[in-house]
Amino acid sequence: MTRFWKDGSPPQAARPTGPGRRRVATSQVGLMLLIVGAVFSVLAPRFLNPGNLLNICTSASVVAIVGLGMTLAIASGNFDLSVGSTAALAGCVTMSLVQQIGVVPAILAGLATGAAVGLINGLIVTELRVPAFIATLGMLTIVRGAALIYTRGRDIYLYGQTQYKILSSGFTPVLLALAVALVLWFVLQHTRFGRHILATGSNPASAQRVGVRTSFVLLGVFSIVGIAAALSGLILSAQVLTGNGRLATGLELSAIAVVVLGGTPLTGGKASILGTLQGSVLVAVINNGLNLLNVSIFYQDVTLGLLLLAALGLAASYHRRIKSV
Amino acid sequence: MSRRKPRLTTPKTQPKAQKPLSTLQTEKSEIPELSVTARIVNQLDWDLLWERFGIAVVTIVVWFIAGLATPGFANVGNFVSVLRQSAFVGVSAVGMTIAIIAGTFDLSVGATQALCAWVAVSVAKMAGVFPAFLAAVAVGGVVGLCNGSLVALVRIPAFIATLGTMFLVNGLTYIITNGQTARFSGKSFVWWGNAQIMSVPIPFIVFLSCALLGAAMLHRTEFGRFVYAIGSNREAANIAGVPVAKVAIFVFVVVGLFTGLGAMLLGARLYSAGPGLEPGFELNVIATVVLGGTRLAGGRGSMLGTVAAAILFATLANVLNLNHVDAFVQRVVVGLVLLLALSVEGVRQRLAEYWSRRTVSTRHPLGGRRSAVAAIDEFTD
Repeated sequence: MTRFWKDGSPPQAARPTGPGRRRVATSQVGLMLLIVGAVFSVLAPRFLNPGNLLNICTSASVVAIVGLGMTLAIASGNFDLSVGSTAALAGCVTMSLVQQIGVVPAILAGLATGAAVGLINGLIVTELRVPAFIATLGMLTIVRGAALIYTRGRDIYLYGQTQYKILSSGFTPVLLALAVALVLWFVLQHTRFGRHILATGSNPASAQRVGVRTSFVLLGVFSIVGIAAALSGLILSAQVLTGNGRLATGLELSAIAVVVLGGTPLTGGKASILGTLQGSVLVAVINNGLNLLNVSIFYQDVTLGLLLLAALGLAASYHRRIKSV
Repeated sequence: MSRRKPRLTTPKTQPKAQKPLSTLQTEKSEIPELSVTARIVNQLDWDLLWERFGIAVVTIVVWFIAGLATPGFANVGNFVSVLRQSAFVGVSAVGMTIAIIAGTFDLSVGATQALCAWVAVSVAKMAGVFPAFLAAVAVGGVVGLCNGSLVALVRIPAFIATLGTMFLVNGLTYIITNGQTARFSGKSFVWWGNAQIMSVPIPFIVFLSCALLGAAMLHRTEFGRFVYAIGSNREAANIAGVPVAKVAIFVFVVVGLFTGLGAMLLGARLYSAGPGLEPGFELNVIATVVLGGTRLAGGRGSMLGTVAAAILFATLANVLNLNHVDAFVQRVVVGLVLLLALSVEGVRQRLAEYWSRRTVSTRHPLGGRRSAVAAIDEFTD
């Protein structure tokens, strides 16, 4: 191989990527967080209430878990638009099984459902060569339909089943989110699989020539996304103790927005776990603040869309400035 | 520009090994005569024919099967209903065909349709049909302008830009309408969605006109040539002098205009319009275009395929309805059909790789070990 390099030796290895490289973008999110938090705590006195802060943490955790899975997917160069439907399906499956086989097996069944959906997504993308966003767009409808068929359009309500509620009460969601973040950070930074994910996202053709098994990497990534989505769905359904086929509609956009706000580039190859966490807290803070100020819930959609486009616009202009140098 | 693919004219009994040049001249007397039919079959470019007319053929076949298998399908009233139903997705699909040929797509058509339909119904209540048409189309065009600017000027990938716009427009619709549905049943307005001329529904006539207009734009104008060029190879088009940004913005505006028109038809059909109208619409539109033979990668496509695919989808929904299939199952079927349509492209690619053993596709380099081995072979040759 050395005969290919002009000087006789390959160039210096590039600096390893990691959270440090994205420091510019994540510090912007942190700063925005402080400013927005300060503004809301002035405008709405109930904002700094411990109960309210716990609310913020819970809703941030739900989006964070899906967002962390989505970070992995985006880092590998793909998207997964079916996370909302997967969350709903997993919630419904678990809800229907809790009273029959117990809480823990039901939770495992829900997570397995998410993994199965993710696996199917991965197979469609790798075997059938369908572009990821279209494949998951189709799966979004299919899985949502499957959830609605499974529940026959009705809600599954658990009467007096308080044991399951532990998933969504107190600090459990936050702990779960932090655990997922730690695990995924470790996988990305310190395992071979993580390096393979980043390689696949950065340049799939080159990764494949170097020997990375792109197919297996993508199957793994989509399965992880599915499991993360299922976990979010379980927490969401535990909050209301209801299994609803229409749960978590629009979760996919929140997840993508959170990842983009966190500084992970959409082209793949880099991932910022800390950024995603900060992004999810920011989104939760904004939603909560708008709620406290009695702003219509529809404005939250608009705000999210505007935030997403603004963040992308800033990122695009930043890259263009870099490229033009 | 028609693609002519040379076909083998020697029958399969010929040995496959390469012959040295000196013996080729003596081969002539050994080539047997082919019949006229065989020669015509060999000369035709079946791939191109399938791409252009395949869906139309499939649609007709499905009509025959459905007519025989499903009671209640094969009567005039049902056909009228099928054709009418195909128009609402079809009009938007005409615009989306242009977008996909240009290499982008628009995920916000569903939200845009809801907004434009509400605008159409509200304006029709106040000012009549023609102002309603103008308003709906104008709103669609404005949304398209936003999309186009985001994609071409701010350089946000089309997928994310239109996703963001979709949520923006959705939220805007809820805010403007306050969650209420607007209703209007003025005769001249709902005529556009419900009437027929000689058993042909008006929406379908509008759909066909839009398809003709779209086809004319694609094949007879400079804009159409630019669209095909950008879809085939954006960089090459840019270097060749095609005004990529302007064409891209105009493509999105066209999508918005057609969606606005379709929205007016839908509002007329339903006598009402409000937020949350027809969720999953964008998937139906993209599925229609892809099923019609337009490649998602861009650069190739035909309007006839889109028309046929729209009718096919309406037929499918109609047959499922007549068989009393669950509404949720129907949505699953639409998703499955889309995935099926898209996977044909991928399966064909995999088959080509398997046969050639040397192709490493850089667009979806997801082959297994075999392609990697083939690639390493190339390096060490």
